[in-house]
Amino acid sequence: MVAYCIRRSGQGLVVVVLVSFLTFIEAHIMPGNPARAILGIHASPAQLRAFEIENGYNLPLPLQYLKYIDRLIHGNLGFSYQLNQSVAALLAERLPATVILVGLSTVVALLLCVPIAITQAVRRNKPADYAITGAQYALYSMPTFWLGLMMIMLFAEKLRILPPTAPQGNVPQILAHPLGLVLPVATLALGSVAAFSRYLRSSLLDNLAEDYVRTARAKGGSRRVVLFRHVFRNALAPIITLVGLSLPGILSGALITEALFNYPGMGMLFWQSALSSDYAVMLGITIIVAIATVAGSLLADILYAVMDPRVRYVRAGQ
Amino acid sequence: MTGATARAEVPPAELQIGERPVASPLRHAMDVLTANKAALIGIIVIILMVLFSFVGPIFYHTNQITTNLPDSLKPPSALHPLGTDNEGYDELGRLMLGGQTSLEVGLAAAVVATVIGVIYGAVAGFVGGIVDGFMMRVVDALLAIPTLFLLIYLFAVFRANVVLLIFIIGLVAWLVPARLVRAETLSLRTREYVDAVRVMGGSRPRMILRHIIPNTIGTITVNATFQVADAVLALAFLSFLGLGIQPPSADWGSMLSTGINYVYGGEWWLIYPPGLAIMLVVMAFNAVGDALRDVFETRLQPR
Repeated sequence: MVAYCIRRSGQGLVVVVLVSFLTFIEAHIMPGNPARAILGIHASPAQLRAFEIENGYNLPLPLQYLKYIDRLIHGNLGFSYQLNQSVAALLAERLPATVILVGLSTVVALLLCVPIAITQAVRRNKPADYAITGAQYALYSMPTFWLGLMMIMLFAEKLRILPPTAPQGNVPQILAHPLGLVLPVATLALGSVAAFSRYLRSSLLDNLAEDYVRTARAKGGSRRVVLFRHVFRNALAPIITLVGLSLPGILSGALITEALFNYPGMGMLFWQSALSSDYAVMLGITIIVAIATVAGSLLADILYAVMDPRVRYVRAGQ
Repeated sequence: MTGATARAEVPPAELQIGERPVASPLRHAMDVLTANKAALIGIIVIILMVLFSFVGPIFYHTNQITTNLPDSLKPPSALHPLGTDNEGYDELGRLMLGGQTSLEVGLAAAVVATVIGVIYGAVAGFVGGIVDGFMMRVVDALLAIPTLFLLIYLFAVFRANVVLLIFIIGLVAWLVPARLVRAETLSLRTREYVDAVRVMGGSRPRMILRHIIPNTIGTITVNATFQVADAVLALAFLSFLGLGIQPPSADWGSMLSTGINYVYGGEWWLIYPPGLAIMLVVMAFNAVGDALRDVFETRLQPR
């Protein structure tokens, strides 16, 4: 188990190093040169030169990369000249809000997908299954922002029971207005529900066809007991991996949701930085998001290996 | 779907070794697709949407270039079946124009992503060893950055136009086909017919291009179909965020982006049509992709 964790973490580390290399490349495809892009069109040549020397942009590229890595390791994610604040400080302000949005909606999605998938698996190929499959298709194919838009129209404009925009401010201020969180969380959760429940349905069906189900039934277990004691537990394990793998998609969804509801999170910050060409902020967020994704899938794999010992033996044998 | 599984369970008619099944692959695909109602509806929706977007403007002329402010935000009427938007463009005509962009970008980006992904995956899987390990870690690293963040960054740097959208959405989306094709190549490269090519002196590019890639065609086709759906959505997201197609051009995402300002004004005709159009096209491609997966899986089972 320890060997598996070390090997898997090593892979994760390699990926993080490659990600840092990618963001470094990203920083160098900026229009003109980084100094011009960051300081803007009104900077004088002297200012540009001073900026280049100060930030090491006059060094050869491999040295610049090492400097960049050194900077990242020391927690320096860059500086936003437009907001006159360090990127790390900006993130400390915005990241918790996104964690709340993503966390809440993932929990809601997991809670909803279980009864839906069980209904489908038990009533396989019956009208209920088909109806839910149709709804899953529709949700899966719906652009997040359109779904959110329709919910705003229904709940905020027609029924007037929920506010159309998210609460502002820091995390305690956001949590003080739970009603404002309902629509953003629902918008983000519904997309995940479609994906999770579809996956859980086929996982349940695969397990229902296993020999141990017949054995348990033969030993006198009722359908209900077999379903919940045996099948459900086995079917749930792959969901852990799915959540890990879905993290990039959920973060993309969170960005759209934040933009739609004016939710003060990291995605909103990223979008505003894109509109104002604040590249330092975008690059800082990119690397944090990428590390979170790698960590998420690493955690999912390790949890999965804890729950299902077959995984670590299979991988070790390869 | 039931039709496809039922067909798979029927044992193949007694075939002599080396004899091919009577039904050609294309015929088999047609059979499965026509038996699967969702896929059939999907194909019809796709054909109708293509006709609507590309042939529609020939019969339904509208001015989509110059604004017409006195006529802005008119509700649906005989003159404007879907009303007009905030700049006086006829919404129905704009839906056709937007459909052209969305479908062009969706289809072309899927082709770009598939070509890159297939070649990359086949080479990684075929060469194997350290090269494969490195190439796949690069894929992992790119997958770690959520697609939308990468796209937004790139379009904050470069100003979007249709060609650039096609290439960048394609360049960001090739990772999944690369993984799938690599996994299949790993098993294909040990097959006897690949050994035979090697013994006969066939070059490596020949083995990959003529023998391995054609045998992954099932995986490629299924994934390419899903790629179209994803690319249509990616374009919609970008345009919604104001980083995609710029006026006076339009796509369904940018139309929705306009509509969002009129949620409280009651201008529903700016919100439902483009949203429904995106959803229908994405659903259609997903349904066809699922059905194609059944086609290729049943073809693999008797082997």
